[in-house]
Amino acid sequence: MARKKWSSRTRLRFSLATLAAICLASLSWTTKAFAETTLTLDENAPGEIDPGKGAGRAVSAILFFNLYDPLLLPTSGGTSFAPGLAESWTQDGNSYTFKLRPGVKFHSGNPVTADDVVFSLNRLIALGQGNASLFRGWVKQVDVLDPATVRFTLTAPYAPFLATTLRLGILDRKEVMAHLQDGSFGEFKDYGQAWLNQHDAGSGAYRIISHNPQVEAVMGKNPDYYLPIPAAAPDRVIMKFALEAATELALMRRGELDIMSQWASPETKRAAARIPGVTMVSERGISEFFIKMNTRRPPLDDVFCRRALADSLDYNALIGQANVTPQAAGAEPARGPLLPGMLGYDGSVPPASRDMAKATAELAQCKYKAGDIPIDIAWIGEVPLEERFALLMQQNWGELGFKSNIVRMPAVSYYQLITKPETTPNVSQFFYTATVPDSDSFLYNIYSSHSAGSASAAEWLSDPEVDSLLDQGRSTLDQTERAAIYKKVFDRIRDLQPSIFGYQVVITYAKSDRVSVPALQDPAKNTRVMGMNLMFRAMEMK
Amino acid sequence: MNLPRYLVRRLFACLATFVGVSILIFGIARVIPGDPARIALGPTATDEQVREFRIQLGLDQPLPQQYAHYVSGLLHGDLGVSLYTNAPVARDLRAGFPATFELVLVATLFMVGIGIPLGVIAARHRDGAADNVIRLGALLGVVTPSFVWAVLLMLVFSDYLGWLPIDGRLSETVSPPPSVTGLYLVDSLLAGQPHVFLNALEHIILPATALSLASIGQTTRLTRANVAEAYASPYIEMARAYGISGRRIASRYALRPALIPTLTILGLDIAAKLGNAFLVETVFGWPGMAQYGVQAILHKDLNGIVGTVLVIAAFFLVINMIVDAAVTVLDPRIRLGAQGA
Repeated sequence: MARKKWSSRTRLRFSLATLAAICLASLSWTTKAFAETTLTLDENAPGEIDPGKGAGRAVSAILFFNLYDPLLLPTSGGTSFAPGLAESWTQDGNSYTFKLRPGVKFHSGNPVTADDVVFSLNRLIALGQGNASLFRGWVKQVDVLDPATVRFTLTAPYAPFLATTLRLGILDRKEVMAHLQDGSFGEFKDYGQAWLNQHDAGSGAYRIISHNPQVEAVMGKNPDYYLPIPAAAPDRVIMKFALEAATELALMRRGELDIMSQWASPETKRAAARIPGVTMVSERGISEFFIKMNTRRPPLDDVFCRRALADSLDYNALIGQANVTPQAAGAEPARGPLLPGMLGYDGSVPPASRDMAKATAELAQCKYKAGDIPIDIAWIGEVPLEERFALLMQQNWGELGFKSNIVRMPAVSYYQLITKPETTPNVSQFFYTATVPDSDSFLYNIYSSHSAGSASAAEWLSDPEVDSLLDQGRSTLDQTERAAIYKKVFDRIRDLQPSIFGYQVVITYAKSDRVSVPALQDPAKNTRVMGMNLMFRAMEMK
Repeated sequence: MNLPRYLVRRLFACLATFVGVSILIFGIARVIPGDPARIALGPTATDEQVREFRIQLGLDQPLPQQYAHYVSGLLHGDLGVSLYTNAPVARDLRAGFPATFELVLVATLFMVGIGIPLGVIAARHRDGAADNVIRLGALLGVVTPSFVWAVLLMLVFSDYLGWLPIDGRLSETVSPPPSVTGLYLVDSLLAGQPHVFLNALEHIILPATALSLASIGQTTRLTRANVAEAYASPYIEMARAYGISGRRIASRYALRPALIPTLTILGLDIAAKLGNAFLVETVFGWPGMAQYGVQAILHKDLNGIVGTVLVIAAFFLVINMIVDAAVTVLDPRIRLGAQGA
């Protein structure tokens, strides 16, 4: 059969059609490329992405919840749980059994299995860093029942256990084992520490594209994530570390920074709030500012002297210094050693307020005379706001006759001094953030005599009643009973006054209108879990 | 003494200095107040956790044993793990050094390229209008701290005029060139990527200017003083008498001897920039080593501190060697003097 020859017109048509197709394809590719949205935010350095490290730091918690998944997810409010990587869970005495959700994959494509859960917990405990202390001593054994079922057996009843699992990130065992380097953990060599410092082995909604702990983390959306991600969620996220205040402001003005670090000073946030297209958003219920009084050193080993100091402090001035703008508070009055929403919190008690008559009456009962023993008020050099608070304390307490010395110290020195009661300053300042959303996380780490010597327990409180109640709070599984126990602790601590409850910290962020962050804009969506309110998958770019 | 022999002798002196510095900084890092293990583990760490971590870090061993262990690692290129970034220190330094080095190099180019000619001009027109204007500018450069320049430059050229970027070494949309030297300006040219070169240049102008302004002032003043002294010498008078042009006298006869003291100071200044760049790096989000060193000190990151100081010390020594060699070329009497010593 003779081949039909194409006429010149046909050839022209064909050429034009091919050209049009190429143009359309290019246009579509270009549109796609241009349509890619990028969210840029900043945080303090270093940006630790290894889930076995970096405990208690907001930056690590934010990265953790975006790169890794825990077994459960907190429901809004943080006191109950919804399925995460585990689709269901049961409790039988001291055993918790989790059934893993089928079909979930790590970023590598490997499926998430019970072996990975066991590996992740063993690694965390072996490294002994990060959140290891939450599990050490509590988890007796962890067993794989089948590839999708894992059972944790505890050494004793431990009520905060489910909340604690929020801090266990599940690692891709195969991926980690493929990247081991020399180390001291036997067959596990370095347990993947060197590799996981720059890469992720998670299943989270975002994956690491590039990472330098001092500079920035660049993350991309995980198209295979097991939960739906809105199309408007950022395709790419750049988290910068350690930007200077002037740089943050300049970048925000240029539209190159979408969310400013929570650690920016109130002045910087005020300046940011004046930039057109920038609004302030906040999260509550995570952190409280404590003024810690060393209960082992005179004159603050006397409860009446402690109460006198607490009653003479000008809380309005304290809160005023921390506030960002009239529209965006940085602080709200505190009522005691717990935050709203936590078991045992009593919102009916009046917030702390200045009452000089009461302070004078308390002082009259103190075995020491004001001014006999000078008080050192420590402030951490890296937190300039604390210096202003120290000056306020000095002035307020001076009105009662107390003499005080303001002592500036770098965090490294402070951490060393608080290991012994005799070297712990009379008064120090501390912003405490709950590691897990449970009253135990707040109260035990600060007021149990077993926690003494750590920076969170600079009060050196040793009260048998508090110790006993805190132990009961841990071992009682019924939530109503726990609430009653923690209410007793709440009242007892208020009575003993080892700390002054400065204010509830309202964590504020200057945010560009280009991005919406529901967890920070709608209080009902606030999870009260450090790091979780900045899950990029819940944000939307405009 | 011939030049190679002189340099070998200097090299041995440098090695001895390096060993001395390593012992000193290793000891100092360990006596700074604060327990590195406790700092690394955070505020809620228990005593037991801290104790175990100290053992993991080898901090329970006697100091000489710790030093011997460190030196054995150092010989294999292992500087230990940073408690600040949790990454190998060698990797951190490899990542940060090229950025700081590039910044220092460009700042040095500005310092030499602007400071020396200005100094010569000021000396040629001593006490004239040009000298007074240059003096004022130089003093302003010297007395204003580099971080103030950094913020001012950023506000004017980036925030207000919008001409230059302020953050990092490259724009987010530009990929780094294939790494050969780690210096983006050089690597981009080697890879034939002019757009990357221009982007890197845009990013480095402001930080390098902020870092160099004080040194430009200092170099200008130093060069002016030395050239002015040379102008007062009889051989310059004789050159003038022979009718040699003023420009030729300045560049050929006055500058060469005047450069010797300037070069020595410049060498020290260049090396010092490596450690002093941290404020500029912080303001411009420059991913360099200086910022890392400061954070290492604040976090009492033992290996980070020692590693950073050793790199800066090595840089100092290398720059000094180069300066020594340059000075002996400019004035051979120096190495001949060393022979007699």
